[in-house]
Amino acid sequence: MQLVQESKYVSEEDDSELRGILRNRTLTGVYQSATWQYHRYGINCKLSGSVYAASEIEGAVPLLHGPAGCAFHHRLTPMKIYAPIYDLPSTNLDENDVIYGGENKLREKINEVYQKFHPSLIVLLPTCISGLIGDDISGLCQDIRPDLPCDLVHVASEGFAHRSRESLDGLMEDTAKSWKTSRPPDYDLRGCGQEEVILSLVNQLMEEQDVVENLVNIETFGRFRYGSRKDLQEIKRIFGEMGIVVNMTIPSCTVEEIKRAPAAKLNIVTRNRKAAKRMNEKFGTDYYRKWASHYGMEGIESFFLEVASKFDLDGVAEEVIKREKDKALEDLSKYRRIFGQHDFAVSTQGFFFTPYFARIFVQDLGLPIKYFCVNTQLLRSMNTSEKTIGSMMKNLEDLFADWDFRFEMVVNPTANEMSEIAKKVDYMLSDRIMPFLCKNDSENRMMDISAISNLLFRTSFTGIVEFARHFAESLDNRHKGRMRQPIISRFAYDQINYPLIEDPRCSASRVMWQDMWSLKSAAGGD
Amino acid sequence: MDGGKFFGAFRACSGISDAVVLNHVPVGCSWGAGMFKTVSNQPDIRHACTVMHEREIVFGGENALKEALVRADRLYDASLLLVVAGDVPSIIGDDIEAVINSVSLKKDVVWVDAAGFQGTMRQGYESALLSLADLMKECDRIQKSVNLIGLCQDDYKAEADIKEIKRLLNGAGISVNCVISDCTSRELERAPAAELNVVIGQGYDLARHMQKEHGVPFIEVGYPYGLAGTKEFVDSICQHMDMGYDLEKDLNTEPFRKVYLNLSELYGTPVSVIGDFHAKSLADFLDRELGFEIEVLSSVEGDPDQFEQDVKGSNTTMLFGSSFEQKIARDLKIPLLRFSYPVFDQVCIYDEAPYAGIRGAVCLTEAIINAIMGFGDKLENLTMV
Repeated sequence: MQLVQESKYVSEEDDSELRGILRNRTLTGVYQSATWQYHRYGINCKLSGSVYAASEIEGAVPLLHGPAGCAFHHRLTPMKIYAPIYDLPSTNLDENDVIYGGENKLREKINEVYQKFHPSLIVLLPTCISGLIGDDISGLCQDIRPDLPCDLVHVASEGFAHRSRESLDGLMEDTAKSWKTSRPPDYDLRGCGQEEVILSLVNQLMEEQDVVENLVNIETFGRFRYGSRKDLQEIKRIFGEMGIVVNMTIPSCTVEEIKRAPAAKLNIVTRNRKAAKRMNEKFGTDYYRKWASHYGMEGIESFFLEVASKFDLDGVAEEVIKREKDKALEDLSKYRRIFGQHDFAVSTQGFFFTPYFARIFVQDLGLPIKYFCVNTQLLRSMNTSEKTIGSMMKNLEDLFADWDFRFEMVVNPTANEMSEIAKKVDYMLSDRIMPFLCKNDSENRMMDISAISNLLFRTSFTGIVEFARHFAESLDNRHKGRMRQPIISRFAYDQINYPLIEDPRCSASRVMWQDMWSLKSAAGGD
Repeated sequence: MDGGKFFGAFRACSGISDAVVLNHVPVGCSWGAGMFKTVSNQPDIRHACTVMHEREIVFGGENALKEALVRADRLYDASLLLVVAGDVPSIIGDDIEAVINSVSLKKDVVWVDAAGFQGTMRQGYESALLSLADLMKECDRIQKSVNLIGLCQDDYKAEADIKEIKRLLNGAGISVNCVISDCTSRELERAPAAELNVVIGQGYDLARHMQKEHGVPFIEVGYPYGLAGTKEFVDSICQHMDMGYDLEKDLNTEPFRKVYLNLSELYGTPVSVIGDFHAKSLADFLDRELGFEIEVLSSVEGDPDQFEQDVKGSNTTMLFGSSFEQKIARDLKIPLLRFSYPVFDQVCIYDEAPYAGIRGAVCLTEAIINAIMGFGDKLENLTMV
């Protein structure tokens, strides 16, 4: 059975949010960091996204309809590579099945999986192979359902239908526009594999319900994501004060909860807008897209007020949010005074969150920022076009001017240039682990906030306060004179694609991936 | 659980350390094979893929392969391109050979037909080695030299094990000409210079081919785990080469003496072992030299559900396998010692701490005792009886 138990890395008793983040960073980050960097050379299979989403459902078992190699490989899904999905049954299609079809084998396997696991739900995941040989998955499911004692859904998870290069490019182009309009982008990422699971749940599992006026569903990005439990706890607490109750969190929930999802009046979604639209068509459930613009004091405030407005709870919500926000501002004031005595540079990756990240530092935390460095290599590695990157940087600059942010924006500084910038300020904050790239004095000014910045990517006023408290302590504890010589500083790093090591084979593999993926532009993927 | 033919072929090909592996597959297959490979060698990324997508499914993947070959030829500083064609091109019928012949490239190209559904990981490995044999050239025999066949770069402890095996053979006056597949393309080319092929667990098809084409005889041996296993390994090779050498004088039992009380307490420990060809040799060591009782011994090519059922129905108190066996170990609250591919939750970077050979017997014993002594919370894991 998938993930009924909490991971050993998540301790229910551990109430220190920061300790939890740092603990997770150590225990899971040691796996995840390599995986994220590996994205520079390719993307994972769409099927792994589907396996991941299915594994989040309590009481569900994913069943792969494909050759043994798929089940072997997908037991390690990149979203939680530290927690392999050990129970991943497969039909183990062989040459005979490729010739004569795999439906009989699938039929037998479904029954076998039920007998072995007694799940509430079997999530049937076709692979490239079953997709190519043309097994009638939908018809088979329809046929087998009446005799199967558990629920059964099938998902369009064939790996070759993964997203094309244009998919992310379109999303980023829309994101750049959304920065100016303050509305979430009206664009979906097709082919991540997760969305396909949620869509199947809407189409095949959810049942008509009487709508309860104060109920809301929240899409989660996985129960083991950094801080997701605390984030949800805080949202539930504030919703509770406003009179809104969380019905379920999808897909981290039980099968019965999924069936009852249409009882909610509203879906709050981050990425699965297509599924939300489908729920709207099928059950009339309204939806609201939560986005990066909802980070920071202003963003959190607008999130709660806008959701409350959907429930006609504007008055009570304004009261609750004012109280929460005033308390946070009061708590922040002493830290803002400390930060105001220094000057800073901030280095971050250009992505959805970049303007809001800057806004938190300038407006919420009151950091006097001299340089704001944006690295677009992450976007490039995901094959975002130069045109889109250009319009993102342009809109970012315009936005900073509108917000009257008076720092200098530096796009794509090399590692050496970063070192030089660090020398011109008291502290440089970076959301990547990179102090080791700089030598001596610069290294001492460089502060790695890659883990604790998770506190800022929350729907939580207290997260910002917790960040400020920890950050102020870090400033106090800096050992300015210390001389470290970390072993990892002894290697040559790629000046542009840091923290990747300098290696011609790695560089060529990176370019190969970008080139080959670019060729898929006209493939018709959205 | 077996990884299938594509994984086996990829592993064999990526062992040619100066070659570039071009996977003709959807991106996810390439991602998976590469991810398992780079756990203990993170900068060794010299594979790419043709990113087969919906368009290729409809119109064929030959154009994508052509584009990828041209780019790889230009971008990589390597003399050899190894194309591994997976499940999708096999089903849609891409003519790989024709595509390769249609482009003019500076690099040599070898391709392997490796549709995952067509066979096991071992079969993929064998098939890839046979394709790589085309690169071999006739050359003068090097006396008292051997090739080691059957190893993979991404086997757990491979680097340290190979170093130890070479040390032992050198001590016997035997040089290692080529390790297949953990070698350069030049070494592979000159593999027929060896006097003997030593097949360790897999690579039999290549050895037979080399015997026929290049006149190199071969022997099959077990993986050299433990003192006795290592002695048998070295003896077999020496006997075949008519070399009088007795490893017995090099056996040092002093490290084992230091923990004799632990070893006596662990005598009779019921254990289960699963893995590729390494498993049988490891089980022999555990049984013959540590006195463990082997409850279940299984191959990755067997039914994983049956293995789990058998282990759970046995008295097993320690498990030996890959990282995938962690769940059974956790369910049974027993320690797991990882020795077989894939190991993705531990790294091995020290090439002086092998599991093979005489030194390996010490490291392995140390790892077993430490795995037991350091296992979890003793009170929590104790069974009230």
